[in-house]
Amino acid sequence: MKDVLCKVVDVASRKFGAEYAEVRAQRLFKTMLTLKEGRVEAARQGIENGAALRVLVKGAWGFASVGSLDVETLTGAVSDACKMAKAAGSRLKEPIKLVETEAVEDVVKLKPRKDPAKISIEEKIGTMLSMSKKILGYDKRIKGCTADYLDLTGDNYFVNNEGANIEQGKLYVWSRITATAREADVFTFSREEIGSTSGYEVFDVRTPEAVSEEVAKRAVKQLKAKAPKGGTFPVVLGPDVVGVFVHEAFGHLAEADLTLSGSVLMGKLGKKIASNVVTFYDDGTIKGGFGSFKYDDEGVPAQKTVLVKDGVVVGLMHNRETAQKLNTKPTGNARAEDFRVEPIIRMRNTFMEPKDRSFEELVEGIKFGYYFKSFRGGQANLDGTFQVGIQEGYEIVNGEVGGPVRDASISGNTLETLLKVDAAGKDFGLSPGRCGKGQTAFESDGGPHIRVKGVLVGGSA
Amino acid sequence: MAVLKKEEMLGSAEDAVSFALKKGADEAEAFAYQGLASSVSIERGQIAKSSRIIDQGLGIRTIVKKAVGFAYTNILGSKKSMEETIVRALGSAKASKLDEDWHSLPTKKSFASVENTYDKNIVDLHAEDLVKIASVMLEAAEAKDKRAFPIEGGAGASYLSQAVANSNGISGFDHGTFVECSLETIGQEAGEVSPVCFEFNAERRYKIDPEWVGEEAARLAVSALKAKKAETKTTEVIFTQFALQQLLYYTLVNAVKADFVQRNQSAFKDKIGEAVASDIVTVYDDGLFDGGLRTWKFDGEGVPQQKTLVIEKGVLRNFIYDNYSAKKEEKESTGNAARAGYLSTPSVEATNFHLMAGNRSPEKLIGEVKDGLLVYFLQGAHSSNPASGDFSVVATPAWRIRNGEIAYATKGAMLAGNIFEVLKNVSDVANNERKVGQLVAPWVLAENVKVVGK
Repeated sequence: MKDVLCKVVDVASRKFGAEYAEVRAQRLFKTMLTLKEGRVEAARQGIENGAALRVLVKGAWGFASVGSLDVETLTGAVSDACKMAKAAGSRLKEPIKLVETEAVEDVVKLKPRKDPAKISIEEKIGTMLSMSKKILGYDKRIKGCTADYLDLTGDNYFVNNEGANIEQGKLYVWSRITATAREADVFTFSREEIGSTSGYEVFDVRTPEAVSEEVAKRAVKQLKAKAPKGGTFPVVLGPDVVGVFVHEAFGHLAEADLTLSGSVLMGKLGKKIASNVVTFYDDGTIKGGFGSFKYDDEGVPAQKTVLVKDGVVVGLMHNRETAQKLNTKPTGNARAEDFRVEPIIRMRNTFMEPKDRSFEELVEGIKFGYYFKSFRGGQANLDGTFQVGIQEGYEIVNGEVGGPVRDASISGNTLETLLKVDAAGKDFGLSPGRCGKGQTAFESDGGPHIRVKGVLVGGSA
Repeated sequence: MAVLKKEEMLGSAEDAVSFALKKGADEAEAFAYQGLASSVSIERGQIAKSSRIIDQGLGIRTIVKKAVGFAYTNILGSKKSMEETIVRALGSAKASKLDEDWHSLPTKKSFASVENTYDKNIVDLHAEDLVKIASVMLEAAEAKDKRAFPIEGGAGASYLSQAVANSNGISGFDHGTFVECSLETIGQEAGEVSPVCFEFNAERRYKIDPEWVGEEAARLAVSALKAKKAETKTTEVIFTQFALQQLLYYTLVNAVKADFVQRNQSAFKDKIGEAVASDIVTVYDDGLFDGGLRTWKFDGEGVPQQKTLVIEKGVLRNFIYDNYSAKKEEKESTGNAARAGYLSTPSVEATNFHLMAGNRSPEKLIGEVKDGLLVYFLQGAHSSNPASGDFSVVATPAWRIRNGEIAYATKGAMLAGNIFEVLKNVSDVANNERKVGQLVAPWVLAENVKVVGK
């Protein structure tokens, strides 16, 4: 395999004068299940073999992807990529350069305790079925339950014309369980996700029993919830919501490609943008983390990157191109979903560092506000406007958590909001997720419970 | 790798069906797919990238004793891969559980005829042509206003072909083309950054207007500057097609899908014949829409696509079905089975979700509004409650309308409410219909929308 890839890369430099050339070859195997109300919709299995060729010719990128690994097709694809680069370069104002990195040679073998590729489909169906049954049997008001399962295993080969040569195993296990409940005209919806790069053993930690109970309980509890008041209120956010806030509201702005595109973090490096309790990391090295890997898709080792330290922006997430542009080191954030797409800057495991408060201490000073425990989606804009939808929330009345509220969301400007974070808890949680930026990346995010002095709550009451 | 011929695609699908039956499947279906896409990308003000992606494969569904199994491979044209894939699909079916509701795969019907879905000029486009389209767009944006910065975008052309065959005699081939250009811009002035603004043009025939896209993306970004905080009040809102698409995708579109209804996840259950929207609202799911972005001769199961009346003058008339959900009610599929190429089994999805236009120009629509908002995009629409239709989203970019004129850009405006209430409060629709994703619609004016601001 490696010889073929080296040859292909060589064609790009020798025949087309590419200053940089890389090939990423993959053999992937996927198993997918969808169960609706405990009915197995179709057990699905797939094989995807393919390669991505990426070249720089006179400062412009060319990219080609093919679903094949034979020499002839790959040689054709590399010449395609070089021709595409030449066409793209015709109007180039500022040629692209890559920061220098060490050319790594390594073989990374994964050692899962329970390799999903070796577990029968029957067993996987059994796990999903047990969750579905538990949810559907929890309460007669539960009307629907969808259980999705995916595992992906395979090998990744990365070779470039600078001498990098990496073979790396790939493994993801993911599941999403949703429940819907209905009482009269009230519909509620609840979701949990499980995700790991360790192996099928993730179900020993996040047991089907515990997860299904969590999902079912929330859907039913929300039936009695009321709509929140709209307006600005103090809030306490749970680790799950803090995670999506760190990821969506801050993280994307700190992806160096988006920072360079004019995100509100442009020019903020070294400046204080948040209160002292705020320290953010993006860490690719957490064992089993849903966003963890050893090398990124440019062959750069993953690392723990500090983004904000005590309220001051100290780093961004980079690939080799943005690191060169901002005269810094790459951080190992270049990721591609598969061989069909090129690597772009993505988050890994992104979180806020815990501090010293107990949950009671966070809530006690609040006369009226909200405790938002779990999220349902979030989104941000380069100008720093963010929105996070809430799937589980409660009122806080006179320093105590009160009744549930339904379908709330919070919004505001990221930088204004970060200055209003006035306390952080000593607990910590990470949740797996999938992030879309034209392509999907598996990641995780989290943090402790935090308190925000004031945030806009969208409510219809 | 080149474009595969009709005979090659059909041959792959038909061979797979025969082999699956020979290996013991009670029923079998094969879906062959090929996609060739070329694009050039704009990044931070310049064209710096070009790519060509070839993706093809075969997805096979087998049914054994009412249990469904599926497997796919991205190797097309190899007998060995095809046979291995079928063995895996059969293995999946045998490992799976019996589905009492499974009836049978669809039967053969004559395909519909569709217009303006294929253009050889698009197949013949080169990277150089796409560079030219992107340049025209970029230059138009730059010429429009220096304060507008093009951050991302590009131009692309693609060719898609699909063949489906099943053990009930269905055998069909269709192919189509797409060309598009798009631009994301931000406005920058004196340290202020506008939200990201976006324009695009996507067509099935080679007739796009990159100059308009560039100018419009720049105009929007600059007019989104100097935004003032929104006030909390109940007001009139004009939703542009982008905002409408975001809002409807997670709510109304799901509510009319038969599987959502059957699974008690639709607010429209038992509401056929009832008024669910204002009488200005008429919606078709039109799989045959001339030049539509989702127009094909047949759907992902080889059922002819069709035009289905969904909401007629506010009254709910029909749901949309795939084969499985239709047979469950002893009905006929409406040709709404969608697939993610060869990678997935079919599921119910809208084709061209067509909200019918009115007579008034968009300017006149704005002119009707005394005090309200013009909303281009929504943030967080995916966090809407899919079953109840409750949403709580941010309108950005959005503009305040006062006395029939756009007054200024707003920021921090949250819209909270319920999509089904919004549909009942639609008071007018404009005549500026356009295609955005699966939606074909004009601007829509709704009354009594709650805006939460400072």
